[in-house]
Amino acid sequence: MLLYILRRLVLLLPVLLGLTLLLFIVARILPGDPVGLAAGPNATPELIAQMKRELGLDQPLPVQYWDYLTGLVSGDWGMSVFTRRPVFADIVEYLPATIELVFASLFIAVVIGIPLGLLTAVYKNGALDYATRTVALGGIAMPRFFLGLLLQMAFAAWLDVLPLSGRYPLIESPPDHVTGLYTIDAVIAGDWYAFQIALSHLALPAIAMALSPLATIMRMMRASTIEVLQQDYVMTERALGLSNRLILFKYVLKNAMTSTLTVIGLYVSWLLGGTVLVETVFDWPGLGLYATQAILTQDFMPVIGVTLIIAIIYLVTMLVVDLLYGVFNPKVRYA
Amino acid sequence: MTPIAIPERRQSARLENWSRAFYRFRQSWLSIIGLAIVIALIVIAIVAPWIVPHPEHVVGGTNTGAKFQPPSAAAWLGTNALGQDMFSLVLVGSQVSLFSGLAVVFIAIVVGTIVGAIAGYFGGWIDEILMRITDLLLTIPSLILAMAVAAALGTGVWNMIIAISITWWPAYARLVRGEVLVKKEEQFVVAAHALGADWPRILGKHILPNIVSPIVIKASLDMGFAILTVASLGFVGIGVKPPTPEWGTLLSGARSYMPDYWWTAVAPGVAIFLAVLAFNLLGDGLRDVLDPKARR
Amino acid sequence: MTLLDIRNLNLAMKSYEGETQILHGIDLKIERGEIWGMVGETGSGKSLTGLSVSRLVPSPPGRYVAGSIKFRGKDVLQATDREMRGLRGRHIGMIFQDPTTNLNPAFRIGTQLVDVALHAGHADPSVLGLNPGASRGDLKKAARRAAVEMLEKVGIAKAAERIHDYPHQFSGGMRQRALIAMAMIGKPDLLIADEPTTALDVSVQAQILRLIHDLVTERNIGVLLITHNLGVVAQICSHVAVMYRGRILEAGKVDDVLKRPSHSYTQALLHSVPTAHTKRGELKGLNGLMPETAA
Repeated sequence: MLLYILRRLVLLLPVLLGLTLLLFIVARILPGDPVGLAAGPNATPELIAQMKRELGLDQPLPVQYWDYLTGLVSGDWGMSVFTRRPVFADIVEYLPATIELVFASLFIAVVIGIPLGLLTAVYKNGALDYATRTVALGGIAMPRFFLGLLLQMAFAAWLDVLPLSGRYPLIESPPDHVTGLYTIDAVIAGDWYAFQIALSHLALPAIAMALSPLATIMRMMRASTIEVLQQDYVMTERALGLSNRLILFKYVLKNAMTSTLTVIGLYVSWLLGGTVLVETVFDWPGLGLYATQAILTQDFMPVIGVTLIIAIIYLVTMLVVDLLYGVFNPKVRYA
Repeated sequence: MTPIAIPERRQSARLENWSRAFYRFRQSWLSIIGLAIVIALIVIAIVAPWIVPHPEHVVGGTNTGAKFQPPSAAAWLGTNALGQDMFSLVLVGSQVSLFSGLAVVFIAIVVGTIVGAIAGYFGGWIDEILMRITDLLLTIPSLILAMAVAAALGTGVWNMIIAISITWWPAYARLVRGEVLVKKEEQFVVAAHALGADWPRILGKHILPNIVSPIVIKASLDMGFAILTVASLGFVGIGVKPPTPEWGTLLSGARSYMPDYWWTAVAPGVAIFLAVLAFNLLGDGLRDVLDPKARR
Repeated sequence: MTLLDIRNLNLAMKSYEGETQILHGIDLKIERGEIWGMVGETGSGKSLTGLSVSRLVPSPPGRYVAGSIKFRGKDVLQATDREMRGLRGRHIGMIFQDPTTNLNPAFRIGTQLVDVALHAGHADPSVLGLNPGASRGDLKKAARRAAVEMLEKVGIAKAAERIHDYPHQFSGGMRQRALIAMAMIGKPDLLIADEPTTALDVSVQAQILRLIHDLVTERNIGVLLITHNLGVVAQICSHVAVMYRGRILEAGKVDDVLKRPSHSYTQALLHSVPTAHTKRGELKGLNGLMPETAA
């Protein structure tokens, strides 16, 4: 098992190498003039040349790639032309906010989607089934940014029960930094007040991101539960008197989870990428907002950095999903 | 020996298949609604410039005297910060969305099919290389990559289409490769080989026509998400620039005037939602018709 | 009191073509110590009769038009769901055909055995050798012990270790043994076995039949063995009922029915079984109408 994880991690290395090369090529081949943009329209050619030298952009491409690669390993992910800070430092600063948002929405989607999928499979074609299926159809088609705007309009502007945007009030200091996730840090610090504030800011963006995965997870879970309920072993379990609750929440749930797990894994990437939209709507200071800013100013390094970190998180997630398969399906061997 | 009587067919098998498929499609009223909205969208996109009440607003004309009018009989969906008629903008906005969505899916299918078919048919190191590249692209968050490419290429519909297509073809390459691998082993392909057919003929005449269904299903389900992605790029400020009306850009522009002038956001938002929903419903219906195994 | 008394059982099934009657007035009495073989072709209604005793035929589409199924004097067709659950696993054990699909692949053999034992133990702690009012912890401990004992009893070597295995680590014959253990762990009074050996190798079939035979004679319980194999009936059954298109044509002691079949269908059925003495060309197939439904 441990050996399997190690081997999978080693196998990730060539993938990461290919990824950095690909991103590097994409970033360098594309037209666009970040230095010119950063230096401003009135910059002299000397100033631009000096900035290029400082950033290493005057070297030949293979040298630039090699420099970039060796830099990556030592934690030097390049400089952001726009923020004038090391990309790695920026990412370290913005990552927790994004992780918190993605976790929160995934949590909402899983905790609501899986039981709903189970229940609608059992009460197939009932009122709840039709209602949730209709909502699910809409939920998948709903643009995250539009849903975000509607939520802002309803809960922040009209009802005035939740904050419009941001992650934490500027005038107050967030709970002590442990994980960087404010809600978790507040719990660790035992600060109930800070937890409420953090959660109230987190609620709307998390819901805006959660609707589509929730709907998909629910549909997936419903379909696989219906399939599992028709299996012979469910009949045996019923024939030997096990209660419906035990059969559904223990014996059926575990079998139905396998295919749903894949969907959950895929949504991690979707959620991470989608932060560029939702964080823009809610001014959530995470990687998405950072990436959007960098893209709009054609700032290569932060874009590569953010893409790389998201790809790494995605690859690790898929590894975790593969390991979890073994939990839900004992036939899976780690070889 | 009495000759065996062959019952006469009233229609060809293919026609019968189609009529049966259409019958199944008609059974699902949701698919019909989807189809109806899609047809309506296409018609609107074609005739919009001639039927909208204020065609001058669509090409950049403003009317600052009548800005932020709430929806009324004069302006059905109200007016925006420049006094432009939202109804006209949203209707004409369907052009960009539909066209780019179609173009993205089309390019993705062409590129993905070529790559996937070659990888699946030849196997070996060609397959290895092509699929490694495909897998790499699949690990990259597609929205961010599309945004970055679009931003670097500069504004314009075609740049945006190219940017999104770059992130979309790998999924088709994977799909086509898998299907080709299966079909390659089937008897009729082996027979074609034995008869001396060369590879472009085997791929083009014998394999690809038999894997159209899964591609069509994926394409129809993807149309909605392509439109969504186009709108997403517009929303973050990349892609089509005003005055060309585009739903995502319109929504982004309306953000600053929320919640007081909510109609400027609701009209384009609902348009995106309806278009995506319609294509999803249509795609679900088509899948049920073309792939009976997937039905539940 | 008769253990199982089925009288005039009439079952209809609804499909989109309308309602079809599947069982036409089944009458059957099973006493303790009797092993009843129920034979018939596919679709003759054997399996649905067996499922009806535990009321496992889903309704809709199933509907009981008339009749009663009295188990220990009480009609199961009138029982509440709660009462039915009390019977299943505790008083009525069931074994199904395919051991590869009837064990839950995601759970250890032990987990599945223990849950059935716990269910039976909750209803009646004496099943697990406990006094009424035993604590949850005692029940759990006793259930685990009973699971190992039962697995040993059905002939799984090193049961205490194998109990932690998953179904895919068991061979087909071992899985059927595990399923028999699950059916018998609640110390039922009646065992319904639906084609328990059909999916197994011939060599394993005989072992499984012997196991079932020994267990039921030791515990003196009634058995309804559903099969299409007259050889199986001849080997272990004391009684036999011949079914054809939802009716019992003939029923009685095995010796009487198989040696002196009174119904022409039974005779035909007997002729369709190959024996060591059957000469080439003597084996006869059955002709008749297509069965009305699939079982």
